[in-house]
Amino acid sequence: MIFHLDTSTTQPLGVVLLKKRVDANNSSELQKAFAQWLQQTSNFVFDCTKLDFIDSSGLGAIVSCLRKALEHQGDVKLAALGPKVAMVFELTKAKKLFSVFSNSSEAIQSFRTVSPK
Amino acid sequence: MNISEKTINNYTIISLKGILNASSAPKLKTYIAGMPDEQSLVIDLENVEFLDSSGLGALVGIARKKRTSRAVMKLARMNERVKKVFEITQAYTLFDIYDDVSAAAEV
Amino acid sequence: MKTLLVIKKQEYEWLIDLLPGVHPLLVPICNKPFIEFLVDFAILAGSDALRIVSDGVLGSVEHYCENGSRWGVEISYGSMRPADDIYTVIEKNRRFCLEERVIIISGFLFIRYNKKSEYASLFTSLPSGELLSCPHGSISLTGTSTTKTETPGTLPFSLAALDSIGKYYELSMEILRTGLTHYVIPGYSSEEDCYIGRNVIIQKSAEIIKPVIIGNNVQIMTNSIIDSNSVIGNNVIIDRESFISGSIVIGNTYIGEHLEVKNKIAAGNLLIDPESGTSIVMEDPHLLTAMTQSRVAGALLRRVVHALGATFLILLLLLPWLLLRPILGLQGKWKRKREQYFTRLPGKNVTLTNTTIECTGVLSALAKALSLDRFTLLFKVLSGKLALIGNQPLPVNPAIPLLPNTHAVYRPAVFSYAEAEEWPEIGIDTEIVEHYYAVHSDPLKDIAMTQKALFYRTH
Repeated sequence: MIFHLDTSTTQPLGVVLLKKRVDANNSSELQKAFAQWLQQTSNFVFDCTKLDFIDSSGLGAIVSCLRKALEHQGDVKLAALGPKVAMVFELTKAKKLFSVFSNSSEAIQSFRTVSPK
Repeated sequence: MNISEKTINNYTIISLKGILNASSAPKLKTYIAGMPDEQSLVIDLENVEFLDSSGLGALVGIARKKRTSRAVMKLARMNERVKKVFEITQAYTLFDIYDDVSAAAEV
Repeated sequence: MKTLLVIKKQEYEWLIDLLPGVHPLLVPICNKPFIEFLVDFAILAGSDALRIVSDGVLGSVEHYCENGSRWGVEISYGSMRPADDIYTVIEKNRRFCLEERVIIISGFLFIRYNKKSEYASLFTSLPSGELLSCPHGSISLTGTSTTKTETPGTLPFSLAALDSIGKYYELSMEILRTGLTHYVIPGYSSEEDCYIGRNVIIQKSAEIIKPVIIGNNVQIMTNSIIDSNSVIGNNVIIDRESFISGSIVIGNTYIGEHLEVKNKIAAGNLLIDPESGTSIVMEDPHLLTAMTQSRVAGALLRRVVHALGATFLILLLLLPWLLLRPILGLQGKWKRKREQYFTRLPGKNVTLTNTTIECTGVLSALAKALSLDRFTLLFKVLSGKLALIGNQPLPVNPAIPLLPNTHAVYRPAVFSYAEAEEWPEIGIDTEIVEHYYAVHSDPLKDIAMTQKALFYRTH
């Protein structure tokens, strides 16, 4: 999990690079870290380029991140879902909750064009 | 266990009858050892009533010996009981198995 | 007329990787095991005998088809070597192929046919030689025809090679959409495009949209939707408010609540996307799970006997171990290596400490004779992780996963059956002995074999 602030957009944007697995073992870490990131910005891109596996608690954590971001009038967008991870998102219908982009720069770009209120 | 022998083409056909287990396997081994190493064999298993892991071990040993001396050993006419042992041990991957003795003794 | 079916392991191996636990010949296509389509075709073509020849394991196929009396055709089995060509296979089955005309189906092929067509007279009149071929196999005919006719330009059957999961999916969908009346499909049907098995419970609020095939013992829970073009296998539960569409759910699978399975293949805890071939193993039992049958009662007795045996050995060897272990350790002759090994359960591994004793001097010879190098492993028997005697534990190698047919007989243990026999302990020979005893052993024999293993290890 690597977090950095992207300031190329009008508003600061949190870019999170998820690595390997988000599962029952580390999903609470993500939630804890997200609470802190939320103090810096409310708009996020979760870059899944390096994410190989996700289980239901990992999925739950990501959905709860989205919910918190929405509460702060922000959004969580997903980028570069691998085929396996995408299958879990589709199976659980969680994909419908997110805007999904094929790579992180497209996802970052999307925040630029439609600036959130 | 009874061992009988005949010749078809260049093959010696060894027909086994009875039980091939730990006590009779040495008999088969000595019988084969009495032949020239480069003699190719067909072992006819139709009348083998019982085969256990030692018997199978003897067959594997003979096949290996024949291979090193560039001869051939084929198996023919396995009955259901013998087939079962070959199936569960997956030993059939090591042998050429024919359903007919004369077909085995060709080429 | 007879039919000879020649299928090489190499041709179907890809399917074992994707759907472990089922022999590819028994993988269901529209809820009917693949082999049954071939058996039906052989019978339609007028065969009274069918022989299945393969260089792979046929045990489970034999177990399923038996001697064929169920279909009124005599089924036998033969083996071949991977390098054998079709002529060698015919030679190896000369007795079977003698005197009669033989249809030879070679390759992992699906034959599209129509049960209403007349095949028996067609096959007796066709000239010998290859009838049809595709890159992955062919169908040919031996013997002379009764009447002299040319091979017609179009035959009332065609071939579809099964070489990828995408093909398997396409073929299933093709049969479901257009071919259900061409084959005998299991289940009750009052309409052309809807087959439902026995003991199926469909909740009132669930919705089923044709064409659909549902197997036996299926439960479809509240508000679930089985959308068109779906095949639901035997013993499947689709839990509340889930949506299945254009998908194949293989038997013994649980699909959790609120899920959406679209254009996928679900098998146990595996989810496969047939288009890309991607498959994932679900780790959440509430999403997808395999429904396993309960273990055999004999396994418990075996475990108890093995644990008692291990306890006995621990008590016996404790003192020598306490004495020799520190000395050899100081001398640097006691070498340990921790490695991951496969367990009996697919996907679960165990870490074992491998001890080797450098064999120099009286003390190390004594330690070896007493099998002290295996001493710590005995405790794993008590915890049920290892058996006392069984297979040599196989180290985990991600590149070579355990095949399901190996798994069925694999029981990692402190001592191996191969050590109890005077067989050379190398490669395939070890496997042969271990396979033999995996089937031919019982708890009491195990104790005797352990004694033998201990004895031979001292020599």
